[in-house]
Amino acid sequence: MSAVLEIRDLHLRFRGHSGVSEVLHGVSLDIRAGERVALVGESGSGKSVTARIVLGLLQELPYAEVSGGLFLEGADLNRLSRRQWQGLRGTSISMIFQDPTSSLNPVFTIGAQFAEVLRRRDPGLPRGAADERAGALLRSVSIHDHARVLDAYPFQLSGGMNQRVVIAMALANHPSLLIADEPGTALDVTVQAQTLKLMHDLVERSGTAVLFISHNLGVVREFADRVFVIYRGRIVERGPTAAIFEAPGHAYTRALMAAVPRITGGGPPEPNDGETAFLDPMVVHEGGGA
Amino acid sequence: MPAVLRLLARRLGISLIVLAGVSMLIFGIARVIPGDPARIALGPNATGEQVAGLRQALHLDDPVAVQYGHFVADLLRGDLGVSLYTNRPVTLDIAQFLPATLELVLFAGVLMVGIGLPLGMWSASQRGRWPDHLIRVVSLLGVSAPSFVWAVMLMLMFAFFLPVFPIAGRITDSFEITRVTGFLLIDTLLAGNGAAFVDALRHIFLPAFALAVSGIGQAARLTRANMVETYDRPYIEMARAYGFPAGRIAAKYAFKPSLIPSLTIIGLDFAAMLGNAFLVEAVFAWPGLSRYGVAVILRKDLNAIIGTVLIISATFLIVNLIVDLLIAFLNPRIRHSERGAR
Ligand SMILES: Nc1ncnc2c1ncn2[C@@H]1O[C@H](COP(=O)(O)OP(=O)(O)O)[C@@H](O)[C@H]1O
Ligand SMILES: [Mg+2]
Repeated sequence: MSAVLEIRDLHLRFRGHSGVSEVLHGVSLDIRAGERVALVGESGSGKSVTARIVLGLLQELPYAEVSGGLFLEGADLNRLSRRQWQGLRGTSISMIFQDPTSSLNPVFTIGAQFAEVLRRRDPGLPRGAADERAGALLRSVSIHDHARVLDAYPFQLSGGMNQRVVIAMALANHPSLLIADEPGTALDVTVQAQTLKLMHDLVERSGTAVLFISHNLGVVREFADRVFVIYRGRIVERGPTAAIFEAPGHAYTRALMAAVPRITGGGPPEPNDGETAFLDPMVVHEGGGA
Repeated sequence: MPAVLRLLARRLGISLIVLAGVSMLIFGIARVIPGDPARIALGPNATGEQVAGLRQALHLDDPVAVQYGHFVADLLRGDLGVSLYTNRPVTLDIAQFLPATLELVLFAGVLMVGIGLPLGMWSASQRGRWPDHLIRVVSLLGVSAPSFVWAVMLMLMFAFFLPVFPIAGRITDSFEITRVTGFLLIDTLLAGNGAAFVDALRHIFLPAFALAVSGIGQAARLTRANMVETYDRPYIEMARAYGFPAGRIAAKYAFKPSLIPSLTIIGLDFAAMLGNAFLVEAVFAWPGLSRYGVAVILRKDLNAIIGTVLIISATFLIVNLIVDLLIAFLNPRIRHSERGAR
C-alpha cells in the first residue's frame, strides 16, 4: 500500500540579494495511512518550509527553487498544475498553524469562515446548511454552545476555544493528510495539552495521517508514531518514537533531548550550535515498518 | 444601548460642540476684518444716516457677545439672516448653491473610492510585479499635485487639445430641467431626459476627476500599504493553505481588514475635497457655493459668510460621522465592544 505522503530528496534554495541560500539539502520523509509522523528540530531548521512545499505554496514564490519528489497517495504532485494543486488544499491536505487566534480572520465570524472551508469540498453550500455541519463538527471538538461560537468573532473567544475551532475546520473536509505546524505553541501549557489530546483522539478515530511539526520532544513523544529529526535542512535521525527516545543515535538528537524546553513556551531548545558531531550521517532506527 | 448607537450619540454631541466653536470663531473673525458691512452694502452714495440705520438694524453697534446672542437665537429658528449681497435669506442662497457643490464633491468621492480602492487592491495582490510598480508611480503622481493644478492640466488636455469634455458649467443651457433635488444627475433622470443626463455627466466628469485625483492616489497608496501588511498575517496564510482562490482572498479576506485603518484617512480626504472644491469650481466655472462664498467675502456680507462657513463645517462633520459609523460597521471590535469606540 502506498504512503499518504512521500517526500523524496527535497531541496530548497532561496535566491536573494546576497546570493543563494540553501535551506533544504535532500529531505526524505514518508507518512503511511493513519500514521502520525513528527518532524522535530530547532527553529530555522526547515520544518515550516517543508510543510509549505507540500501545500504547493512555497513554489509560488518567484525566488524559491524547489526540487525533489512529492507524492500524495501515490499521485505525483509535481505533475499537477498550480490550479490542481490548489484544489488539494483545504480538501485532501489541511493545515493547522501555531496561533489559532491570529490564524482566523479578525473581521469575519467563525461561522462565515467555517462555511468557506466547507465550500472547498462542497462549492455553493448554503450558509444554513454550512452552519448545521459546522455545529456538528464543533460538537466533535467538545464545543456545545456552537450557535454562539459560530456567531462570534475570533477575538471574542479564548485561545483554547479558537484552537478547537481550527481543529474542527482542519478535519471538516476529511483530508487524507493533516499538517500541524507547532499547533498551540502560543497557548498556555495545559490548554495546549488538552487540545493536542483532542486532536490526537480525532485523527486516531478518523484514521487521518498527520505531519506533526514541533520542537517539543515531550509533546512529540505523546503524539507521534514515528519521528524525523531535522537539523539545518537535513534529516539526521528517523525511526519509531519509542526507539528514538530509548536510544537516540545522533549527537544532535541527544543534544535536543538534553536541552530543557523553555516553560514559557517561546522558542524551541537550541543546543550548542556548530558541534561537528551534528553533521554526522543520518541514524535510522528500523521497526515500526520504517 | 447598543455600542453603535452610543457611538453615534457621542459623535453627534462632539459635532455640535465643534459646530458651536466654529460659529463663534467665524463670528469673531468676520467682525474683525476691516470694512463696514453696512457701508459696503449701501454703496458710496448712501448717506451717513442710512448707514447708521442699517448698522442698527443689523445690531452692528452692540457688543460682539450680544450680536452673537442675536445670531444664535435666529439660528435656532433656522434663520441665518438676510444676505446684503443678494437681498435674500442666506438659507435660500445656500439651498440654491450648495447642491451643485455637494454633487461635485460626492461624485468626486465616488471616483476616489471606486478607482482608488481597486487600484490599491490590485497593486497589493501584484506586489513587486509591474502593475504594482506602475500603480505606485501613478498614485504618487496623483497625490503630489494639488487639485487646482490637476484642474488646469485636465482642462488643457481634455478641453483644449483633445476637446471631448465641456469646460464650464453643469449642463448645456438648452436643457430645461425641473429642479427637484438640485443634483442634476438625479433631476435629469427624474425628468426622464437621458440626453440631459449624459450632458450633465460630461460636464461633471472633468471637475470631479480633478478634485478626486489626489484622493484616488491617496486611497490607492493607503489600500496597498495596509493590504501588503495584511498579506503577511497568519490568517491570510491560512486562507491560502485552505486553497481559497487568490482573487477572493484579495477582494474579501485581505481587503476588509485592510480597509478599516484606511477608512479614517479616506474620510478625511473626502471631507478635504469640500475645501478644494472652491478652487476647482473657480477653474471650471462650476455654479456652486464657491462663487457665492467668494462674492460675499469680498462684500463683507456677514450673514452670508457665516452661513456659508457653517454649512461647510456641518457637511464636514456629517461626512466624518458617516465615516465613523462605517468603520464601526466594518470593525466587529468596535461594534461589539462594551464601551463603544475607544
Ligand atoms: N520566504 C522565505 N524567504 C527566504 N528565506 C526563508 C523564507 N522562508 C523561510 N526562510 C528561511 O528558511 C529557513 C527555514 O525556515 P522555516 O522552515 O520557517 O524554519 P522552522 O524549522 O523554524 O519552521 C530559515 O532560515 C528561514 O530564514
Ligand atoms: Mg516554523
